[in-house]
Amino acid sequence: MRTGDGQAALTVRGLTKRFGRTLAVDALDLQVPRGSFYGLVGPNGAGKTTTLSMATGLLRPDAGTVEVLGHDVWADTVRAKQLVGVLPDGLKLFDRLSGTELVTYAGLLRGMERPVVAARTAELLDALGLADAGSMLVVDYSAGMTKKVALACALVHAPRLLVLDEPFEAVDPVSASTIRQILSGYVRSGGTVILSSHVMDLVQRLCDHVAIVAAGRVRATGTVDEVRAGASLEERFVDLVGGGTDVGEGLAWLRTSSD
Amino acid sequence: MVAHLVRLKLSLLRNSLRRSVPQLVGMVLAALYALGVVGLVASGLVALRFSPDVGLARSVVTVLGSAVTLGWFVVPVLLSGVDQTLDPVRFATFAVPRRQLLAGMLAAALVGIPGVVVSILALTTTVTWSRSPQAVAVALVAAVVGVLTCVTLSRVSTSGLSALGQSRRGRETASAAGGLLFVAAGLGSGWIGEQASRPDLMGSLASLLGWTPLGLAWAAPADVATGSLGTGLLRLALAVLVLVLLLALWDVLLRRALENPRSVSARTRGRDVGAGWFARLPGTPTGAVAARELTYWRRDARYVVAIGMIPLLPLVLLVPAAGGSETWLLGMAPVVGYLLGWGMHNDLAYDGTAFWLHVGTGVPGRADRLGRLAPTAVLGAVLVPGYAVLSSALSGRWSMLPADLGAGVALLLSGFGVASVVSALKPYPVPAAGESPFSAPPGAMGVTLAVQVVAGLAVTLLSAPVLALWLVALGGAAWAGWVALVLALVLGTACVLVGVRSGAAIYDRRAPDLLSDLARIR
Repeated sequence: MRTGDGQAALTVRGLTKRFGRTLAVDALDLQVPRGSFYGLVGPNGAGKTTTLSMATGLLRPDAGTVEVLGHDVWADTVRAKQLVGVLPDGLKLFDRLSGTELVTYAGLLRGMERPVVAARTAELLDALGLADAGSMLVVDYSAGMTKKVALACALVHAPRLLVLDEPFEAVDPVSASTIRQILSGYVRSGGTVILSSHVMDLVQRLCDHVAIVAAGRVRATGTVDEVRAGASLEERFVDLVGGGTDVGEGLAWLRTSSD
Repeated sequence: MVAHLVRLKLSLLRNSLRRSVPQLVGMVLAALYALGVVGLVASGLVALRFSPDVGLARSVVTVLGSAVTLGWFVVPVLLSGVDQTLDPVRFATFAVPRRQLLAGMLAAALVGIPGVVVSILALTTTVTWSRSPQAVAVALVAAVVGVLTCVTLSRVSTSGLSALGQSRRGRETASAAGGLLFVAAGLGSGWIGEQASRPDLMGSLASLLGWTPLGLAWAAPADVATGSLGTGLLRLALAVLVLVLLLALWDVLLRRALENPRSVSARTRGRDVGAGWFARLPGTPTGAVAARELTYWRRDARYVVAIGMIPLLPLVLLVPAAGGSETWLLGMAPVVGYLLGWGMHNDLAYDGTAFWLHVGTGVPGRADRLGRLAPTAVLGAVLVPGYAVLSSALSGRWSMLPADLGAGVALLLSGFGVASVVSALKPYPVPAAGESPFSAPPGAMGVTLAVQVVAGLAVTLLSAPVLALWLVALGGAAWAGWVALVLALVLGTACVLVGVRSGAAIYDRRAPDLLSDLARIR
């Protein structure tokens, strides 16, 4: 039974969140088409993490609705969460577990059968280049390895929608390329990915759809080509969000060419 | 540089007081307490001057001095990261000559309550030894050497801890081991206190310690006061040698810390255990939560300390029992039951924000609640009957066995029930994973105390009928013990059922809000 838009993997309507006096997310609307590779970009403090947290059931919104493939995240919670894989930003992991244990834990918590979990855990760690680090504690992982093991946790139950908050932050180029390949393959086989990032270049190359968010609202949305309208995504972004400060002749003392 | 670092320490002290009123009150209380201790000990030291028995003065000063010196070495291990001001790594990017840094950090370490207290007491020993001019002179030098040794030891143990234990595991193991040592010391202190009244034992302890690095400086003036000037000067010379060696050691550690400031985590690659407990416990969400909890018992210093301490704590009751009041022994099973059950009431907070995995995967509240309780329940099923039998055997009152068992079971199970509800309602701040298990997050005393008291009262109230019957049985009515046992099983099971059910309902409703709470108190 589907109540929402049959074409959307994620539908967000009027999502609002206030922290004290700060309005972090301001009646935000978003439609992520099924099978799309969706980029969410915005400056620091734009409300990206808050939006994605509310979309995945980690943070209770003040107002608004979120539907994943027709299931309301905040009403039909159990079904919706089964369909989503999450990689949050800024939250810890159970890092006293080894990589193998952590991914196994994520699978078992979702009620999967143990043999299936064991097989997928091994495959995921292998694909992400963590096979050798499976028995190492996650607390001793590098930042990039931590992102990769968190991604494995998000993938282990074969979700239909992947919500990734800054999946490429602190990830080295080799790992990033691995992650990109896995995500592209996932989208080709019918999955949907929404990720947030600071790196415009990466979003422009990787994603087919994009939304530019600033001050808790969507400023522009559509396919990447529609949004960038001939310019580069970065230029459009700076235009929409309000450009940076022109440094001009300031900081002159920093330009020491004397020696 | 010395002045800079002392000034830095003073401003940090002042600013920390400015942060909150409770902290100021705490600081004032600590200062008053320290003042009281100083007054008491100092007047004792002065009184020793007039004691006709020089041997007593020697024993007391040597043993006390050695204990204090040991304390300066051990306490920084327990409270790792207690004095971040003096973390040499923070000075790595400033080009400060090492010798100046060394002197400055020594001086700064003396600023603060412990440094001042030790300095005052050490100087007071010159009064104790004012039996001859030579003794006073040696005592003065020895006091300075002794205090510097204390301070250097604390620096060595701090730097050594971060140098030897660059790996997280090394630091945490040291911290947990220190904690267990602390408990063992508490247990042993009862015995030592009893023996301390025997002066001959104190005397032999003092003559032993007097030749160890801990006691050299403190024992030196006693020799001079009793006329053996040569021995005294030898001890003093050795004490200076120890200090010089310690300074050299610290210098080496400091250099290593400054040259390699990045804490490189040793890749601890344990043997491949596969999925560990996750492969052995039932492959369900409940089993997985239990497996995670069990794994943490071994790997997280905070759990290691709690799980190491609680089974040992009832042994404290052996101390009054040895003094003749055997009734105390009967408290063992109830105490361990209470601590295990009630102790679960803030388990969720130890997850920190890692709890998102439970929220994101939509774990049912029932699985979360039951899984957390399971490992402790197994521990309780061993410890409560074990202590009940032990206390009966030691006290010889086998008629109390059913009542004791009942009281332990009732407290354990009602604790589980209360904890299931409380931990879903109000998690309060705990040290984060990797911090010292003994550090207290600032500014959380109020809520911590309130939740602990409410949970404790609830557990006591729920098991009150059983505890009343326990008292009746203690009075000699054997039937009451059996009634207590049956009632404990019935009442306890009901508590767990109702507690887990309502705890699960609250959890299912509030899981995301709990995550927000955990993120905020972090």
